Amino acid sequence: MNSKLSVSLVAWAIAIAAAASATGQDIVAVKASKILPVSGPAIDDGVVLMQNGRIVKIGKATEVEVPWSAKVIDATGKTVMPTWVLAHSQSGQRGMNENMQNVPWLSVADAIDPASAWFEDCLRNGVGTVHVLPGNQTLLGGQGMVVRPFGRTVEDMAVAGNTGIKLSLMAQGGGRLQQIRKLRRALSDLREYLADFDRRKAEFEKEKAAGAIAADKNWTEEIDRTKKPGVDLVQKKTKGWLFVPSFAEMDEALRLTQELDLQIVLGSNIDEAMAMITRLGKPVVLDETLEYFETDEETQKEKKHCTAKMLADAGIPFALSLGAGGPTAYPWWQIGTCMRNGVDRQKAIEALTLVPAKMLGLDSQVGSLAEGKLGNLQILTGDPLAATSWVETVVLEGEIVYERKNDPRLQYLFAAEKDKEKKAAGPGKTEPNQPEAPKTEAPKTEAPKPATPAGTGGKPGEGK
Amino acid sequence: MLRFPLLGITLVCALLPAQDKATAYKNARLLPGGQPPIENGVLVVGGGKVLAIGGADTAIPAGAAVVDCAGKTITPGLVDASFRASNSADMNENGDEVTPHLRVLDTLDPDHRSFARARAAGVTAVHVMPGSRNVIGGLGCVVKTFGTDPRAMVLKEDASLRITMGSEPSQENRPIRGGGVDSIYYRRPTTRMGVVWEVRRAFFDAKAAMEQTAGAPPAAPNPGIEVLTRVLKGQLTAVTTARSEQDLRTALRIAAEFGYRTILEEAQDAHVVIDELVAAKTTVMLGAPSATVVAGSAGGDGADPRSATVRLLADRGIPFVITTGSNLQSLDLVREAMFAVRNGLSATRALDAITIEPARLLGIDQRTGSLAVGKDADFVVWSTDPLDPASVAESVHIDGLSVLALR
Repeated sequence: MNSKLSVSLVAWAIAIAAAASATGQDIVAVKASKILPVSGPAIDDGVVLMQNGRIVKIGKATEVEVPWSAKVIDATGKTVMPTWVLAHSQSGQRGMNENMQNVPWLSVADAIDPASAWFEDCLRNGVGTVHVLPGNQTLLGGQGMVVRPFGRTVEDMAVAGNTGIKLSLMAQGGGRLQQIRKLRRALSDLREYLADFDRRKAEFEKEKAAGAIAADKNWTEEIDRTKKPGVDLVQKKTKGWLFVPSFAEMDEALRLTQELDLQIVLGSNIDEAMAMITRLGKPVVLDETLEYFETDEETQKEKKHCTAKMLADAGIPFALSLGAGGPTAYPWWQIGTCMRNGVDRQKAIEALTLVPAKMLGLDSQVGSLAEGKLGNLQILTGDPLAATSWVETVVLEGEIVYERKNDPRLQYLFAAEKDKEKKAAGPGKTEPNQPEAPKTEAPKTEAPKPATPAGTGGKPGEGK
Repeated sequence: MLRFPLLGITLVCALLPAQDKATAYKNARLLPGGQPPIENGVLVVGGGKVLAIGGADTAIPAGAAVVDCAGKTITPGLVDASFRASNSADMNENGDEVTPHLRVLDTLDPDHRSFARARAAGVTAVHVMPGSRNVIGGLGCVVKTFGTDPRAMVLKEDASLRITMGSEPSQENRPIRGGGVDSIYYRRPTTRMGVVWEVRRAFFDAKAAMEQTAGAPPAAPNPGIEVLTRVLKGQLTAVTTARSEQDLRTALRIAAEFGYRTILEEAQDAHVVIDELVAAKTTVMLGAPSATVVAGSAGGDGADPRSATVRLLADRGIPFVITTGSNLQSLDLVREAMFAVRNGLSATRALDAITIEPARLLGIDQRTGSLAVGKDADFVVWSTDPLDPASVAESVHIDGLSVLALR
């Protein structure tokens, strides 16, 4: 009994020491005037308590006990909500489209540019989870991965790998039918390869059983590395993310969903295909362009369509995308566009939180503020959907990764007076050397994997 | 009490048999433009005019139709001081690079989709100018956004003379059919220097014509010179499109040289030349504050738009309006104002910058731009605060006529 106690005490002491040496602040509490957990009702005067990068408690300030050792982030007068989740993004890469079309063995891990201004924009806009996939100008375009927009290397940023292969029905120089033919051909090549592989393996075993091959010899051949991801795709062991540029390709997309495990990524012009999308009955990713006009050929009158509204009416869950620039880069603008067109506020918010989290299989990790999920949250100056609100602070896995007061780009854009030197230097040169900066920007050697159960998501190997 | 508009009436009378009856919009939040907001306000319109505006105790005429606008906001119809109304092919006369006498009114198509989009966005009056491919493009006009005959839509003919700085008038001027620089197929000017020279020459000729001594033989009538003379005499407003710092300075310099006043349009680099703008007492038509990519050729002429600009203009007391301008990426006018608010402008100033301020600038404030008794019944009922990203123009009225259903 006594020894048991002392062992647990030692373990506890070691855990505390390890945690303290790892991040300095193991327990983080965010006290806010308003918390929007997304998965539940708003909490006035609440606290989000995080430990080892995960949310351990969320509730009213009067009900959540904040340990004395916690680092407290004061968000009085501010609104706290989960960071946004993007189900599909091509941005943040150097060369998102490989010229060769049939390259399922490639991975965005080799194209992601951690220094990309787009990831900076993500933090600025409160985006905390991004599924990066190869561009739409492809056939079988390579594998995607989920990252957080913070870190100096792709490894730092990694949240989940092997998220699936990008497929595209967008015509590449040839016509729409040629693209379909090429995709069909690529898939049947993979199936033929697999069948041939299985046949040869079966023959080997047969000959071995018959004694024609020595008993101590084993089948050693493996699936070709350049074919493996594609083979996994046709065996439904890995997901495909199929870009469907317009309504005209939806028919083929539906047929492909019969044979493969596909997530549909829609282009903007889809109104004619709504019946088919409804029949598909699965969540889809929407193009960043949510509104488009169609001109009646007879009358020349325009009709406005909103993809989000059509899907909401059809009862199909959808994830929103963000543009790489202009107003569609703002989550509040995208959600506002949905609402202008009659989509319910909660449904529109879920399209950038819970729905994409679920599509990525990360709904136990991100997408809402809930106990056990990653401590990913944003602190806003006001309601997240108001044009006047700004993201003040972004916390990823319990760690502050963005603060507006230290944002050089915003300082540049809001420079009060003309300043020729600043103009010449550009945003990069005006980066302030704040005392907090080194701490918040310290590279992490390993990001906690989403599969880690709550409470044990420590950061091994992170010695400082 | 009912007064019928005296101009542009044919249309209104023909389409509005029900105009005799007054309509009262009550329980609305009224943002009259240039005046403090009125909570729980009443707006009474009839005969295409505003009959009364005030608080909840405002008398509603007997027999008036009453529309309950609880939770809604009513603003004046928005006024876009720089609006793309047609395709560029029809807005740019390629026969000459200096065409002061051409009138954009002659090419306006009331059925063009841009007008329908403007109405849907709550814009009821627009200033349209010829395109920016010519150094001096011609005469702009101010029209309402609904009508079957452009003439009946007109609020002001000959509202402005458009001058364009920068690379736009020269950018595409390259030899065709393999001709050399002296080929007749080589459209001019081909450089920024050439653009500036074309403006100078035009005004120099106009000045020479003005200074012609009495008794000298009359010069051949020249409609272009006549228009430029009106600018020099201060009878016609020059609007100079300039985006970059360099072009803004050039625009001010040429205007000072010839002694005419000019409004600066687009003006993305206004933040750099702010002192010069104050000194010249210039008005700015700020183009698309939401846009991160500047319109025009050659990468927006190197202009460097900043979020701070709109706030700087306000703080330094420079008169300005917000427009959608020539940027293809520009949003609905009210959203441009919304971005200005995001960037630090007060909501009141932002709304004024798309209603009463452009109306004053364009000289149409006697007719529209604010909600006031006797003015045209041009107004918008918004689902919520118009500067909310989720706001929708639920009904839009021009001369009292609801124009959304007419899309």
